Amino acid sequence: MQANLHEFEMRNVYARTLLELANENPNILVLEADLSKASGTNPTFAKEFPDRFINCGVAEADMICIAAGMAVEGKIPFCASFTPFATRRVYDQVTISVAYANTNVKIVGTAPGITAGPNGGTHMCFQDMAIMRAMPNMIVLSPCDCYELSACLRWMAAHEGPVYMQLIRMLQPKVFDETYTFNPGKAVHLHGGSSVTLVSTGYMTPFALKAAEQLEAEGIEVDLLHCPSIKPFDADSLVASAKKTGAVVTVENQSIIGGLGGAVCEVLSESLPTPVKRLGVPDRFGEVATENYLFNKHGFGLEHIKEACRQMASLNKMEGTQDAAVSSKGERN
Amino acid sequence: MNDTFNCEEFDRLAGELRYVITDMICRAGSGHIGGALSLVETVVTLYWRVLNIDPRNPKMEDRDRVILSKGHGGPVLYAALAYKGFFPKEMLGSLNADGTNLPSHVDRIRTPGIDMTAGSLGQGLSCACGMAMAAKMDGKKHKIFCIVGDGECDEGQVWEAAMFAGHRKLDNLIAITDYNKLQIDGFTNDVLTLEPLADKWRAFNWEVLEMDGHDWDNIYTTINKAKQIQGKPVMIVAHTIKAKDCSIIENKPESHNIKVDDEAAHRKYMGALKCTDYSLPY
Repeated sequence: MQANLHEFEMRNVYARTLLELANENPNILVLEADLSKASGTNPTFAKEFPDRFINCGVAEADMICIAAGMAVEGKIPFCASFTPFATRRVYDQVTISVAYANTNVKIVGTAPGITAGPNGGTHMCFQDMAIMRAMPNMIVLSPCDCYELSACLRWMAAHEGPVYMQLIRMLQPKVFDETYTFNPGKAVHLHGGSSVTLVSTGYMTPFALKAAEQLEAEGIEVDLLHCPSIKPFDADSLVASAKKTGAVVTVENQSIIGGLGGAVCEVLSESLPTPVKRLGVPDRFGEVATENYLFNKHGFGLEHIKEACRQMASLNKMEGTQDAAVSSKGERN
Repeated sequence: MNDTFNCEEFDRLAGELRYVITDMICRAGSGHIGGALSLVETVVTLYWRVLNIDPRNPKMEDRDRVILSKGHGGPVLYAALAYKGFFPKEMLGSLNADGTNLPSHVDRIRTPGIDMTAGSLGQGLSCACGMAMAAKMDGKKHKIFCIVGDGECDEGQVWEAAMFAGHRKLDNLIAITDYNKLQIDGFTNDVLTLEPLADKWRAFNWEVLEMDGHDWDNIYTTINKAKQIQGKPVMIVAHTIKAKDCSIIENKPESHNIKVDDEAAHRKYMGALKCTDYSLPY
């Protein structure tokens, strides 16, 4: 991996990494549904490998099943579209021809959540992680920066089986560096602490990291877990952290129903009942708006993350008696 | 292919497969009989006279591919595959049984010889396009046969795939419409008319052939003609009769999926078959 990857837009890194992979493996293909410039593969990939760049037109259902047919024949197709059209529009095609038929198709949802910005409510998909996570055989990834994106793509190409990945298109702050290796199903421990557990993924991780760093000055020690892999989900790291802190905040660029927050609550409710505050979009549709407007409206920007961490950390102290009750069962120190 | 066609033998084979398909479905208690029986002659011609396949090696690299996009027709493929030796005929008795490898709708993972999973209508032709594109990329000469239902052509995705195949000139793709003129809720002309069906495919830049889907010579010559066509995908509109040769449901809407509640009903369907002079292999 080159050392200055973070200077490029994420979509550019997507296309460049696919180009590298395509040079290494003749089976790597790119499929698009008339959004190839938006996902970055045109011209970067299209020019270099015109025969392995297949534009299916504005026909996402067709694209997904064409990819499934190609995968049955040993190809490794990467299909991209805006998140709503890569997931909810083609949910049955992905379910049957990809997941149920267990075909080696890689699906990439671009401009996730509020990053759809000016395209507004029709394009602003808040439920792709939830619905893709509910599908057997499907792996669900949401990398937070260029280095992680590149590593995820390399892993996806080598992994035999269906994968869905969110792709933020624009420049992203650097979280990792060129030494990063993607470990599927493992959370990345980005900041250590014992006051509160903060769990983030994808677009929200740089905000979560900043929140953790800024809260240090207030004496709040945040244990930050970044989850590039929503499914499989790293239950062990979460439970270990929650055992240490006794309070959990989740933050995601998605609906709070069924995505990262849902995964965290599922694990904790069964393994270690712990108070959880989920940040993200409540049960609402998107709209044309700036990031700040949407962060403030739905309450999941930097300041909201910090406030939620403060509240959960103090709740944790206040409810020491409840904690003690749990401790008495030997489930938490 | 070594073609050892003998009309009487093939008539007898078709009758036997209809006998077995009907019994499989009756044993299972229910099933999509009409669209399986309408395809018997087409499927027999493909598997006995056209396809380059090896039952001992179902994944043979250069084999011709078959995608049954109308996945509910599974029983006709299962009967053909078993009689060709892809798996023991005894397995045919397990249709829809708990833990079966012969589910009502075709499944590439469970059944030897099934090239693609199907059942949610409208997806198989797109998958066939992907297989045809892959074959072209790899310089392979095999053909991809895709059987779609007429009711299935109500699905918009079929026409997305039609546009794609026409645009990409996928001349290694031969699709066959099982045009029995019936879908679940009634005659296609009453539910959602497909006409002019052949012209629709022509308008999507396909070569279109039509055949009598129960006439051995017509089926064979039409498919062979389709194999020779270059520069375009081919659609064969097969005029067929739903539930062919099962008199009490032949060409009737209720033949789409029958419910067989008891032994008497089982005997009734078996007795309605044109030929019953066979024994079951399981």
